[in-house]
Amino acid sequence: MPERVVEVVPEEGLHARPASLFVETANEYDAEVSVGPEGTADDDLVSASSMLAVTGLGVAGGEKLRIVAEGADAAAALDALEELLSTPEDEL
Amino acid sequence: MSERRLSGIDVTPLTGVGTAVWYRPDADLPEPPAPADVDGEAELAAFEDARDEAEAELTAERERTAERVGEDEAAVFDAHVQFLTDPQIADGVTERIDDGLPAAHAVEATFDEFVEQFAGMDGKMAERADDLRDVRDRLLRLLTDGERVDLSALPEGSVVLAERLTPSDTAQLDPERVAGFATVTGGRTSHAAIFARSLAIPAVVGVGDALTSVADGETVVIDGTTGDVVVDPDEDTVAAASEGTEARIREDRVETVNGREIEVAANVGTPAELGPAAERGADGIGLFRTEFLFLDRDDAPDEAEQYETYKRAIETFPEGRVVVRTLDVGGDKPVPYLDLPEEENPFLGERGIRRSLGPDADLFETQLRALLRADADTDVGGLAVMLPLVTTVEEVAAAESVLDGVITDLRSEGVEAERPEFGVMIETPAAAFMADEFVTHVDFFSIGTNDLAQYVMAAERGNDAVADLGDFRQPAVLRAIDATTSAAADTDVWVGMCGEMAGDPELTELLVGLGLTELSMSAVTVPAVKERVSEIDTAAATALAERALAAASRDEVTDLLP
Repeated sequence: MPERVVEVVPEEGLHARPASLFVETANEYDAEVSVGPEGTADDDLVSASSMLAVTGLGVAGGEKLRIVAEGADAAAALDALEELLSTPEDEL
Repeated sequence: MSERRLSGIDVTPLTGVGTAVWYRPDADLPEPPAPADVDGEAELAAFEDARDEAEAELTAERERTAERVGEDEAAVFDAHVQFLTDPQIADGVTERIDDGLPAAHAVEATFDEFVEQFAGMDGKMAERADDLRDVRDRLLRLLTDGERVDLSALPEGSVVLAERLTPSDTAQLDPERVAGFATVTGGRTSHAAIFARSLAIPAVVGVGDALTSVADGETVVIDGTTGDVVVDPDEDTVAAASEGTEARIREDRVETVNGREIEVAANVGTPAELGPAAERGADGIGLFRTEFLFLDRDDAPDEAEQYETYKRAIETFPEGRVVVRTLDVGGDKPVPYLDLPEEENPFLGERGIRRSLGPDADLFETQLRALLRADADTDVGGLAVMLPLVTTVEEVAAAESVLDGVITDLRSEGVEAERPEFGVMIETPAAAFMADEFVTHVDFFSIGTNDLAQYVMAAERGNDAVADLGDFRQPAVLRAIDATTSAAADTDVWVGMCGEMAGDPELTELLVGLGLTELSMSAVTVPAVKERVSEIDTAAATALAERALAAASRDEVTDLLP
């Protein structure tokens, strides 16, 4: 399964607007995306399509996120999410 | 039995009398039936129906709030939809229904699990807990079907009592049917307070636990002028409340008993507020905040878009003046297309006129072009342009030359641009001290008392612990106002005030005495201030102002007031 570890650039972390855009982006692709802080075991990853789950991770700016995708658009989904997380909040 | 008085914080100068109705969204659900007696399929269908209905309500309330209160207040409903439709919520509820819980109990348990998780986290996450509670209560209201008070279908003359009112709650209230509301928690800047002012509902917030002593069905008076909730009122109190419910709306201009005309205008922050301001008898707009045009979007509004908005504002008051404040943003507000630097203290940083003469010079010029074109095309001549956060004479002179340049450009393009009234907002101690140097450049001053009091007293408005320091009755604040009016006294420069202080009828006489000739406020208080102006004797007002300026303390000032 394609996966990637990405640093969360938005200073606020994965809350509010960045989280909302993250969930929106994950839902745009034909792929099951799951996330967790770097080093999270497969079973403990949460669904990227849930605002509750994503905000509930409490990931702060500067921390690293493990993103796993499965499905036809897995690679494209990972590219889009990586780009989003690499963008400072005021440019989102 | 005699009446009982509970005191809270007044938020609108309106009084209402009605029948108490407790709104308790947190009330306990009845014990669930045994799992064997629960029809799982029916409960699941009930949950899905409630969710669809809740989403439809949220969409409608979003629209209504954007229109009535503003885009900022409306955005919260977007987050609500995201939580409502979250797959984890759906999974949690479905699982619990499968385990034999009715839909309402399953919703409560599922949301509470997440509320608990979020409430335990810090700052911003705790706010998400409030959003989740709000969505939970909406679903529970739909699922329990009338067992909870339905705010959108209250009997006429209801006074709503609640622990607190959320954005969803207030969006449902019908101002025609609600005689007022009172809440246990909340302050002057709480959502409920802002909402009450926008819609002219009598309201008292922050009453404390004493409010829970009021029973459903008791008669209550909500006295928005004193901040009292009067329970089981005497006949005299009811009579006074019904009579003094609201000052008569008058559309004519008002003057003091000795014939000094005082312009009573409204502050507005969105075009939706223009119509209501005119309906409440405002002579014009004393502060048109333009930030709404620039926030919550990806690109700056172009000249054409701004032009339409300004034209509409000027046309709403064909006989009156419309004072437009140029863009006032800084590091405290995210504006994605402006490169706003991160600042240690954005309120003392690069904001307001400092940006307009610096990094946002293009934006400033575009805004002035749109304003002058709108003014030229409406041909009623009511435009006044006001600069925010001015501290030096160089800023005033520089802005003036930008304005002159824009006029020259427009005329060369064939637009019959006229020089509008040009003024500065007096909201810093520096501006008050330097007002006598500004008078040669400007047509008017408008004293922004919210920020002026904050900067003069070094006390933040929203902080209850220093609220007494930030009070407008502080002699230091009055002396800063006096410095401004004195600087303008023997010139053609007029001095107005746009800030909450201008909307307090108890202070009107003092302000007239200090030499202000224009007062601009929330539209809701326009009728009361107009009425007050027409009772004022100018000589007595001047004497009052002299005594207040000689006072050494806030208490001395308060003792002088009616």
